[in-house]
This record gives sequence, structure tokens and C-alpha cells, in this order.
Amino acid sequence: MTDLGDRVAERPATRHRHFWTIPRRDALVGYLLVSPQLVGSALFVLLPLGLVVYYSLQEWNVLAGTFEFVGGDNYAKLLADPNMGQVLTSTALFSVGLVVLNLALALALAILLDQRLRGTTLFRTLFFSPVLVSLVAWTIVWQFLLQQDGGVNGLLGVAGVDGPNWLRGETTALLSVVVVQVVKNVGLNMVLFLAALQGVPRQLYEAAQLDGAGAWTRFLRITVPLISPTILLTSIITVVGSLQVFAQIAVLTQGGPGMSTTVLVYYLYQQAFQFRHLGYGATLSVLLFLIVAALTLLQWRLRRKWVFHES
Amino acid sequence: MSRRVKLALYALLCVLCVPFVFPTWWMVTSSVKPISDIFAFPPALVPSRFDFSTYGRVFELQPFGQQYLNSLYIAAVVTAGTMAVAAMAGYAFARVRFPGQNLLFLVVLVGLLIPSEVTIVPLFQMFHAAGMTDTHWPLILVPILGAPSVLATFIMRQFFITLPGELEEAARVDGLGRFGTFVRVALPLARPALGAVAIFTFLHSWNLYLEPIVFLSTPSKFTLPQALTQFVDAYGSPLWNVQLSAATMTALPVLVVFVLAQRQFIEGLAHTGLKG
Amino acid sequence: MKAPGKLAALTLAALLAVTACGGGGDAAPAAQGPQPLRMSIWTSNEAHLKLFNEIAAEYRKSHPQVGEITFDPIPFENYTTTLTTQIAGGNAPDLAWILENSAPDFVGSGALVPLKSKVENAGELVPAATRLWERDGELYAYPFSTSPFGVFVNTDLVKAAGQKTPRELIKAGQWDWEHANEINKAVAAKGENGLTILNFDYKAWDNLATVWQGWGARAWSEDGGTCQFNAPEMVEAMTFMHKAVFTDKSMPGPGTAVDFFSGDTAMAVAQISRAAMLEDATFKWDLVPLPAGPKGEYAVIGQAGIGVLKKSPKAELATDFLAYFTNAANSAKLAAYFPPARGSLLTADTMAKTSPMLDGDQLQDVVIDGIEKGVVKPSHTGQAELAQTVRAALDPLWKPDADVKAVLDGVCAKIQPLLGG
Repeated sequence: MTDLGDRVAERPATRHRHFWTIPRRDALVGYLLVSPQLVGSALFVLLPLGLVVYYSLQEWNVLAGTFEFVGGDNYAKLLADPNMGQVLTSTALFSVGLVVLNLALALALAILLDQRLRGTTLFRTLFFSPVLVSLVAWTIVWQFLLQQDGGVNGLLGVAGVDGPNWLRGETTALLSVVVVQVVKNVGLNMVLFLAALQGVPRQLYEAAQLDGAGAWTRFLRITVPLISPTILLTSIITVVGSLQVFAQIAVLTQGGPGMSTTVLVYYLYQQAFQFRHLGYGATLSVLLFLIVAALTLLQWRLRRKWVFHES
Repeated sequence: MSRRVKLALYALLCVLCVPFVFPTWWMVTSSVKPISDIFAFPPALVPSRFDFSTYGRVFELQPFGQQYLNSLYIAAVVTAGTMAVAAMAGYAFARVRFPGQNLLFLVVLVGLLIPSEVTIVPLFQMFHAAGMTDTHWPLILVPILGAPSVLATFIMRQFFITLPGELEEAARVDGLGRFGTFVRVALPLARPALGAVAIFTFLHSWNLYLEPIVFLSTPSKFTLPQALTQFVDAYGSPLWNVQLSAATMTALPVLVVFVLAQRQFIEGLAHTGLKG
Repeated sequence: MKAPGKLAALTLAALLAVTACGGGGDAAPAAQGPQPLRMSIWTSNEAHLKLFNEIAAEYRKSHPQVGEITFDPIPFENYTTTLTTQIAGGNAPDLAWILENSAPDFVGSGALVPLKSKVENAGELVPAATRLWERDGELYAYPFSTSPFGVFVNTDLVKAAGQKTPRELIKAGQWDWEHANEINKAVAAKGENGLTILNFDYKAWDNLATVWQGWGARAWSEDGGTCQFNAPEMVEAMTFMHKAVFTDKSMPGPGTAVDFFSGDTAMAVAQISRAAMLEDATFKWDLVPLPAGPKGEYAVIGQAGIGVLKKSPKAELATDFLAYFTNAANSAKLAAYFPPARGSLLTADTMAKTSPMLDGDQLQDVVIDGIEKGVVKPSHTGQAELAQTVRAALDPLWKPDADVKAVLDGVCAKIQPLLGG
């Protein structure tokens, strides 16, 4: 880029101007443009994260006002915590269920709406509408609907099905939280998929059809590869989001029945805020951070294998 | 497509719609039901009689109008701020070359990985030390500059990467500097992606629940999600019908705006360039 | 805790100065001039707030050194959690309401200022009401609300099911859980709901003390060291409840929302302050004491105390205000909403003036007798974690085919390490 020999030969008067070569000016603009985000990250992400790591080495009693260095004690506690197995199992089941259901439903809805049907705008609006309802309002409503004698079982009753007591069974409670969350947010992914689908040239399908490819083959060989960058993006957002679901669990099940819906982020909240074990809560935060980071890194690595084209 | 297939598709769409539409319908109709109807089984689709008095009680029990304004203005400021921050950072990470770029991008991406529960205590301490608890600053500054804006930056970067390089070269030939290129050429093209960022950000701010509970303590400063949980008697038992009326008021206007502007709304979101 | 807070603050302050986002000026407490006070509370009821503000205004007239006194409502649902988050973040209020279930945590940790010598005529406070707030003979919070549990009865529903009313059973000396259960079974058979325990919702199990106390059962031993969930009395009490829910259907089962105040339920176990919600009731109602159990008559109370936080730089002022807020004259005013713990106020006559919703019998039987002999709901240090652990371990009980003894053994296996450790 910069030719050193050239610059040394310059006379001092013009050197100033030449110092600001295009790449240098570009770099300056670059730094200026990213500076708000960088300052924000340093201040509101990295600094608090560092503090959390620091707290995880302390025993912190809020009420007594004591704050004491305990080294790795909290990490030893983490390894010995009898609840951890259940919590991690619930977290895994919840996240996998949520991600799979969300992405599959989003893609299915997008494909349905991508058909040349009249009235798809109406359906698109309806499927998207829960995204706009305030999360707390949405959850409060579902809390009613999922009662033993609530709306869900009322509707199932019309269809002749005797519905279970959703929020009181271990499996059904987990399933309920997943479904409530998916219905709330699937609209976003659906719209992103819809856009991606509309970007797939129709000629490709027509050509494939002439070659005798069935619908399933066309989907696998044309649709999936061409929309793979969107699949990557939505899956990253959804995986990360699935590990952060909190308000829904707080309102619907409070982690029960048993510990069936106590996912890691809820357990963290309980330990840090309800049980006031702030040091241990910080340790769980570090664990949660590492899990999210590992998963995201894994997805980012995998993208080279299966994402069709990345600019 | 044959008629039969079409009919089947319509039927499928209608059935799929139920879980998406029914909760909202139930919320709106129950808010004007007498309280005994709310607990009726099977649930009534239409109220047996209309009772709008709960809507008045919403405003008696809480400074609900003020809380509505709080949520609106915070979401608006956060949306505008995030768009600016994310567009600048996204553009720089995508199109400008500067030393340490990849490392800095990775550093920023850390924010994508942090649930707000993880950092809420240190953030609370920081803002308290700065005298900013029980103000709206934490609810504005953290989303614009902190972890929540990283997704926006990421979206903007993915969009700017897809812009053809020739456009910028042309701008350069026209004598525009790097900043000029960003403002005059890249930004206008980024409108759809900005639309997506705006929607994500607005909804995120509008739904924020944990942060307001932790940071705010004066009812007149509360935001809507927080206010919704306040319609309880002195012993914490919810006043169901009042709560549902308030919930309806938080949801309906957004839904109406959406229906009116839904074409721009969804198409803005759709044409983000995220299709790669 | 100071160090990280300061480091964070400095960095933040520096950066905010640079970005000119200031606005942090109001944080520094003014060294001179009137000092504001802040009290965290969980009611946002307008009538309550109005009374508090009146008392505060009166106090400030004679105490110019005190500035504005704010009453800061935090939602009941997350009250203790939010309060401790504020304390952790260095934003502790000067005074705070404290719920009975976190009393041992607050009193035991030394977070509160001793009050005994400050409270006016502390000697007349009923011992049952102060026990929870005392340690080593010192009082750490003023029990401003001592609310007994009673049974609200929808007499219309009871009569419609062809049953004797509880009031009639009391006269006949038959008001016990067996008879109550028969009434509720009959009501439930007619398609309405029998008895509900308010706020329990198959999660907040400490409310079940209102039932198991009649069997003489306890959650843990007096010294808090031994789990007693699997003691014979508890097994018997829980077996009774399990049968009521799943066999007799006399209590609405888990996942069923009922609302006594809208008239769909025959009986509700609740604190007497709920009477206020019956002002517009469309049905005839009564309030009676808890039914007798196999171990005879008993009473259970819920409590709330006000404490001054040691962390507050204005603890002395706050203590003085607390003494004023709870003196005999103001206690009488507060008694309109919060049953007092002062012996001199606990007469049917004085109470009648402040509780127009309740008649003489109701006040004497439920309120006054209740406060004097009541047992406070179970509480322990580390209550939140215990509560959550018991809740999770107790969940298997709320299934039709549960093995009561085995579930309760499981509860003890889970919580004994927390109690002993």
C-alpha cells in the first residue's frame, strides 16, 4: 500500500499531505465510524463482563454488605451443584426444541406464503402480528389460555380432544413455553425466509422441473442452498435468543413443575437475584457466556461447509 | 395449481392461523368482559355484555398515559440512535479497510453473546454510581451503544458487504471521500436494511422487561411492560380485567399501525439484503 | 464491593463527560439543606399512599431538616428481589417494608438498624407479632401489618348447595376441616368451586401453613435445623389436602384459575385485609376463623415489618421518621388498612371504627384473637432458595396418583442440606 521509499524522498512541505494517503484517510474514517460502537462495547459489554468475572471469584452477601475473595470456590460449587444436570438438560431440550420448531415453522410458513395464492398478504399479516404484541401482555394471555379449563383446552374440546393440564406436567410445561415463544416470534424469521425465497430466480425451478426433479429435490437442491445465508443468520439469532428466554418462564412456570423449565438463564436469575448468591450467579453468567460463545463460534465455522455463497 | 390444492392450502393456512390470532382476540374481547366471564369454561368468544369501565381504571391506578409516552419516546430515541450507530459501524466493518478491523469486529460481536441478565448487576452499579438510576438513561444508552445494538451492526455489515464495489469506485471518481461515499451513496441504498434494524430495535425496546424493573422505581417513569405487572391489589393478586385492558391498549395501536403500513413494514424487513 | 463500583463509576463518568451526556448531577446528596427520605413499599393502592403522604407531610411540619419523603412502590411479585438488587447496586432505600418470609434474612444479616429504644411504647406490641423481628432481645423492624388468615365464605353458594353455613357450624361447635370439606364437596358437586387458598396456586406452599397448622404440623423444627415435612402430622395434613383436591374435588385443582371475589367459589382462605375487595360483592359473604384441625383451634398470621437500612447515610433521620410513622396515633390511622400489633388498639371497638367492612364477631374471632394467638407463616434464613427447593420437590404431590409420604420424604432429602448447612 504505502510506498516507504517514496515518502522518504518527499520534501517536508508536501509530506504532510502525502501522509494522508487514501488508505490512511480511509482508515481514519473507519475508526471514526466504528468509534461509538467500540466505546459502547467497551463500556456496556466488556467492562460489565469483566466485573462479572471478578464477582465470580467473590463471596458477596448483599444484606450483610460483605464482599470477600474466595478464589475458585464458586467454580467448585458449580461442578458439585446437584441441580446442574437437570438445569443443563432442560436448557438443551428447550433450546433444541425452540430452534428446530421455530426454523422449521418459519420456513414452512414462508414456503406456503410464497405460493401464488390470493390473500397471502392477509395471512402474512396475521402470522406476523404476535411479533408486535408486547411480550409481557402475550405471556399473561397465554397463562390464561393454558389453564386446565383455559382456551387451549376449550378449542381442543371442540375438536373432541381432552387436553392435558399444560403448565402442570413436566413435558407439557416445557413444550408450552417453547410453543408460546415460537408463535410469538416465528413471524420475524418467516419474513426473512420469505424475502430470501423471493430472491431465488424462478427459472431455476422451471429448468429443474424440465430435468424431471421432484418438489422435494428442488427444495433440497435449489431452495436450501440459495437461502443458506438466511438460514445461517436466522439460526444464529434464534440459537442465541433461545438461551436468553426469561420473561416467559418467569410468568408462565417460574421454572416448574419440578425443575423442568428451569433453564440456565432462569437458574442464574434465581441464584443471583432471588437467592442473593451474587458470586455464584456471576459464575453461572460466565458459564452461560461460554456456552453461547461456543455455539455461535461453531455455527460460524460450519458456515463454510454448508452456506452456498458468502461474499 | 388445481382448485383442490388451493382449497387445501387455504384450509391449512386457516388452521395454522389459530394460535397466532386467537390469543390477541381473546385478550381484546376479555378486556371488556365482566370478570366472571374471564374464568368461564369453555371460554366465550364474544363477551356476554360489554364493560368498558376497566379502561378507565387503568388510568386511575397508574399514570398510564405518561407510561405510554415513556415507552414511545424511549423506543423512538433508541431506534434512531441504533440506526445511526449501526449504520456507521456496519459500513466501516464491511467496506473500509483499517488495521485491527477483524479483531475489533470480533470484540464487538461479543455483545451478541451476552444475555442482559449476565451484566445487569454491574450495569446497575455503574449507572447508580453515575447518578442515573431511576432515569431513562440506562434504557437509552445501553441499547444504543451496548449489546443490543450489535445485532443491528451485524445486519448492516451483512448488507453493506453485498453492495457492488463499482458503486463506490464511481463515487470516488466523482470526487467523494470515504465519508461522502458512505452518506451519499451507501446510506440511501441501505434503506431496506435500516428498515429491518428499525423494526428489530423498536420491538426490542418496546418489550424490554428486566431492565426497567431493575433501573426504575418511580411509577411516572415506568415503561409499559413494567406497568402491565402493576395492576394488582395490595397483596399482589392481579386485577385481571384491568390488566387485560392495559395489555390491549399496549398492543392494539401497534397492531393498527402495522396493518396500515404493513407493506412498507414487511417489505422493508424483507429487502434487507440478508438473502446473501 | 466498593472497589469495582468505583472503578466502574470512574470509567463511566469520564466517558460520559467526554460524550457530554451528563445529567448525573442529582446523585450527589446535598450536604446541607433538607434531607429527602425514601421508603420502599409494595402497595400502589391510592388510599394507602394518600394516608402515608399525609403522615409524612405532618411530620415534615415539625422536622424542617427532613426534605421530601417518597414512598416507592415495587411490585409485590418481585418485591424482595428488586429491593436486594437495589441494595446490591448501592441504591438502598432509607426505609423498607419487609415481608415475613424474608424477615430472618434481613434481621439475621445485620442489615437493619436496632429500633427497640426508638419505637413509642414498644412494650405494648403483642409478642406474637414481634417474635419474627427480634434477635437477642433487640427489635429490628416494626410489625406494622399483622394480618391474620381467615376463611371468606360465599354464603349464597353454600346455601344453594343445601349446606349449613360456617357461622351455624361455629355455633354448633362443628367448625372443623372435616365439616368444611363436606360443604365444599357439595358446592363442587353443583359445578362451582369449593375452597381455594389465595395466592397458593400450587406454588407458594407457605400459604398451606393455614391448613397444616391444624394438624400441628411444621415445615421445620423450632430452631430451623431439622426438616419436618415428613413428620406424621404433616403427612396426615397433606394427605387430607391431596384427597380434597383429587378425590373430593372440594378444592380446585392445579392449573385452574378461580376468583372468589367474582363469586364462583364457596370459600377462600385469605388475609383479612382482602375484605376491601368485597366492597362491591354481588353475593352475601362472611368471614370466619380457620376451621379447627385434629389438634384443635389455631390461627395463622402473615406479617410485614418496616425497617431502617444500616446502609442508608441518613439512618438516624429515617429511624426518627419510623418512630413517628408508627406511634400510637398513627398506628390507629394505619389500622384502617393494616391490622396493628399494639395491644391498646386491639379491641373490637377501636377496630370497628377503622374496619367498616367487618362486624363485631368477625373482628373479635378472626382479627383480634388471630393476632394474639397466631403463628406466623414459616420462614427461615435463605428463605427464597428454600421456598424454591420445596416448591420443586412438592410438585409431584399435585398429581392424582401421588405417594404423599414418598414425596414428603423427597422434600426433606432436598432441603435438609439447606437447613443444616
